[in-house]
Amino acid sequence: MAKENSAAMKSGSRTARRGVIMLIIVAIVAFGACVIRIAYLTLIKGEEYREKAEAQQLMVTTVNADRGTIYDANMNILAQSASVWLVYVNPSKVTEDNKNAVLNVLTKYLEVDRAELLDRLEESAGNNYLKIKGGVEYNVKNKLMEQVAAEKITDVVFVDPDTKRYYPNGSLASTILGFTGNDGNGLYGLEYKYDDVLTGTNGRVVTAKDGVQFELDNAYEVTYDAKQGVSLVLTIDTEIQTILEDALATALKETKARNVYGIVMNPNTGALLAVANLPDYDLNDPYAVLYPQLEKYFKKKGTEEQKQDPVAAARIEQWKNKSVADFYYPGSVYKVFLVSGALEEGIIDPETTYFCGGTISVGSRTIKDFTPTGHGTETPEKLLVNSCNTFSVHVGQEMGAELYYKYFQGFGFTERTGVDLSGENTPRVGVTYHDPAVSFTESDLASASFGQSIAVTPLQVVTAVSAIANGGKLMQPYVVAKQMDINGKVISVTEPVVKRQVISENTAKTVAGWMESVVNDGTGQNAYVAGYHVAGKTGTSEKLGTDEALYIASFAGFAPRSDPEIAVIIVIDEPRAGNYSGGTIAAPVGGDVIERTLLYLGTEPEYSGDDPVTMTIATPSLSGKTLEDAKAVLENYDYQVRIIGDGETVVSQTPDAGRKTPMDGVMVLYTEQDAEKEKTVVPSFAGLTVYQATQVAVANGLNIRISGSNANESTVQAYKQDLPEGSEVEYGSIVNVSFRTVSGMYD
Amino acid sequence: MIKKLNLREYVKQKGGLWATGSIDVMFFAFLLLIVVIGLVMLYSASYVYSYYQFNDSGVYFRKQLRNALIGLVLMLVVSRVNYRIFEDIGALGGTALAWLLLLIARIMPAHNGTHRHIYITETLQFQPSDLAKFTLILTLAALLTKYHSRIVSKKPLQSPLLAARINHAVGRPFFNDSLPPILICGVVIAVYAGLVLLGSHLSGTILILCIGVTMLFLGEVRGKWFVCGGVAAVAAFLIAIKTNLLKSYMSERIQAFVDKDFEPLGARWQINQALYAIGSGGLFGKGLGNSTMKHLYVSEPQNDMIFSIVVEELGLVGAALILVVFALLIWRGVVVGINCPHRYGALLAMGFVFQLGIQVVLNILVATDTVPNTGISLPFFSYGGTAIIVMLVQMGVVLGVSRDARIRRR
Repeated sequence: MAKENSAAMKSGSRTARRGVIMLIIVAIVAFGACVIRIAYLTLIKGEEYREKAEAQQLMVTTVNADRGTIYDANMNILAQSASVWLVYVNPSKVTEDNKNAVLNVLTKYLEVDRAELLDRLEESAGNNYLKIKGGVEYNVKNKLMEQVAAEKITDVVFVDPDTKRYYPNGSLASTILGFTGNDGNGLYGLEYKYDDVLTGTNGRVVTAKDGVQFELDNAYEVTYDAKQGVSLVLTIDTEIQTILEDALATALKETKARNVYGIVMNPNTGALLAVANLPDYDLNDPYAVLYPQLEKYFKKKGTEEQKQDPVAAARIEQWKNKSVADFYYPGSVYKVFLVSGALEEGIIDPETTYFCGGTISVGSRTIKDFTPTGHGTETPEKLLVNSCNTFSVHVGQEMGAELYYKYFQGFGFTERTGVDLSGENTPRVGVTYHDPAVSFTESDLASASFGQSIAVTPLQVVTAVSAIANGGKLMQPYVVAKQMDINGKVISVTEPVVKRQVISENTAKTVAGWMESVVNDGTGQNAYVAGYHVAGKTGTSEKLGTDEALYIASFAGFAPRSDPEIAVIIVIDEPRAGNYSGGTIAAPVGGDVIERTLLYLGTEPEYSGDDPVTMTIATPSLSGKTLEDAKAVLENYDYQVRIIGDGETVVSQTPDAGRKTPMDGVMVLYTEQDAEKEKTVVPSFAGLTVYQATQVAVANGLNIRISGSNANESTVQAYKQDLPEGSEVEYGSIVNVSFRTVSGMYD
Repeated sequence: MIKKLNLREYVKQKGGLWATGSIDVMFFAFLLLIVVIGLVMLYSASYVYSYYQFNDSGVYFRKQLRNALIGLVLMLVVSRVNYRIFEDIGALGGTALAWLLLLIARIMPAHNGTHRHIYITETLQFQPSDLAKFTLILTLAALLTKYHSRIVSKKPLQSPLLAARINHAVGRPFFNDSLPPILICGVVIAVYAGLVLLGSHLSGTILILCIGVTMLFLGEVRGKWFVCGGVAAVAAFLIAIKTNLLKSYMSERIQAFVDKDFEPLGARWQINQALYAIGSGGLFGKGLGNSTMKHLYVSEPQNDMIFSIVVEELGLVGAALILVVFALLIWRGVVVGINCPHRYGALLAMGFVFQLGIQVVLNILVATDTVPNTGISLPFFSYGGTAIIVMLVQMGVVLGVSRDARIRRR
């Protein structure tokens, strides 16, 4: 029993005490420590751990948004993204055994240099990713991957979807469209300006995954839809853009100018129909310098930095949209705005006269006119027709700096036009223009009156000219007509914005009439287009602060005068081929562009009695008639008729029925099916007068079509023909010959 | 007693084979609550992994449920047995059996790189260390009861041993009469620990040592022995490090604990994922069943790291409440022990609940990256057949003790 007693336990014994102590240690202290530790992990470290947990649990798949397409006004594609493929390899999987196969496959299909590729592979031997080539076409990718499968290197070579931007028209409108970088973001032009709109938003599919990389069920899946890029429909018309670029390219070649710019605008809305700057570049290969003269220029005349890397300088130059970025002295073109303001303010009226003696003194300075003897007594109309400097200075003096500035500002030269093109520069007081509130001296005013000492952009000028064309409203130019979503649904349409009424409709009409006189009788004669009533003004300004005499020749105008459809500006920067006056080298380009554009637009010409076109007739339809009948019809015409073949009936004719030919033109009738067409060789018309050219044409069996300058002027000379000299064409073909005046173009 | 081995006499002497009196209902209630919560959480934590492995989300749960039911039946049977019959035969026989099984496990071919299991088939395997914890408590409780008077004795050591000579030389009773029984206990603990360690089961060894110390403490062993034991343990640990006795995976685990950036996809993967799970739980958790980390992130979420899934789903509040239930269970076990008129019963009841508590604490400290990862399961939660059956049998012993306890009820 003693043992029993020793095993018996009394309450309050040491064992019991120690039990309680142990209880406190385990169930309170240790458990408490555990709870505190858990609290620390859940409450304080919780955020961090939760993020880490989610980071490994969520699998984010990017769904690329397609970049929007850029269309011209007629829904022709100007820029489009296409699905292509990006080929990459996992260099860490390249072994001695498969190296050759990898190199063979990649070099065979991707046009990469084998030695270079080998170097790159070895350099990144430990990595998991090495991009080989992007922009791989679907077909190429398929062939490549077939070969990859055949060679059993599917663990080395991979493809990812990629996109590539295509510009179907190459360099067309390149300085407005701009281009994208490797990652698809816009770098220049509209691609840059509208990058956010075009890009859209990449979508994401967030899927929960388990620790062994299986996707979990869809309950965990969240999809953020890709917002596809928005497409742009431009006001630019590919046809008009082509007409403008062709004309400018010819001008660039003929004048050996540094740059030529041109804009065609709808004066009633401000919509830009064509904007071109040459030299430009190929949108599909923007880093290549398209015009070698640019590189040469910077090598010779660039800054030290540019001389170091003329290619880089040439690239930046060719990408720039100079018609909105570069300021130039408008020269005499500005006189239309001066006269508009003066007329609006009543400082002059159509009957005002001024005697031009060839000089005018401004303070201590004497300003001379181009014509040393002066223009004699002039009305404001003659001021423009003669491009008279002295009268202009006089008008400027009469207006004073305040009023001058009022219209300078009114026509928009102190502000950006607000066009939705990238790279528009901001006019700055004291740099590009004078503000009487700051400083506007008498001498400044005199120079400014004929467009020197004030700098403007071509777009500002064409916008201001449009204001005269449309009855005094200054429009905000724009290039994006509407935005469309991926389904073609129109999201937004650009409404024309009238910034202000600069001058009254009457003033505008009066000045427009005077501008037509400039083209009919004055320095703008070379822009004359029969039937289209071109109104315009030419200008020649001298660049200041240069070692040699450098000029800018320009023409700004619109047509038809009474109901204008287009306003045009042509600027030729630093012509180097002798002639440099705007009337001689810019006006013909302007006339050419206007003529071809209005023909394309289908504008009905309204001929006046003096136009050489009035002496043309539409050819009768003779096909199907018997020879006898045809001859009877032709009794009423002065045609030189040729009959080819021995048949009794007319099978076909050259020119075709309905074509316009001179009344004393050439008509060829074919009486046999499959008869060989009679051929003739095109002569050169260069330098001929209208009369001479007509004679030469008939003598060579051609029908002439006269365009350009007023044919009645004896000073007019042919300078361009659409059928090249020496080419063999059908007898009776129509040759288009352009004429221009070279003398007396002092603007 | 055992010499005159007469079983009938023995049982009679111990007060009969069957216990009388009623069980402690509160202990039983807390226990059932924990078992149910544990099963629910096991299902929640394991079904993804189970489906991934077997294409059947219920494999772990069904086995655990079956084992829990077996355990509960055994528990009820054991609770009816008079605990005192374990005092001699149970302790001695149990220890012999446990040692034998530990040795067999060591001799048998390694399973999963260790010798922890007696592995026959996937469904028929046994972890002797779980039994060892049980029989160790039975044995120590018996020894500490048997030698109680000597353990608390202050008489100088009489036997002609070296220790007695030291006493003589020192001139005062440095070693007293408690030395021999404590040495016996120490040797028993050391053999248990050594055999478990032989099975490459460090965490089991640690648990054995913790249980041993706890039992000695409850058995009124004097404080200076714990100081001596502590010094000896530190010395042994240092020697183990010096002699590279710790296997490489153990030192790797320690490195993984010290350096939080160590092998994020290797040694630290599991613990990092557990931490992410716990952190994701926040205050109230993601809700039962809503863990995402159990989707094959936390490796074997039904095992040692199950608590991280518990926190992820039930949050800090849920985890704390579970700990409160555990604490209440321990408290009730201590109440049973204190009120047991027999020292052996008191030591058994308290020993078993403290073993449970220590295991819970160690498991949570591991899951929360507070101590190096050793691999201790969470009682009633972690998957493991032997563990839950043995643990429930142990609880049955406590329930048996509670029939004897004179708990004052209001």
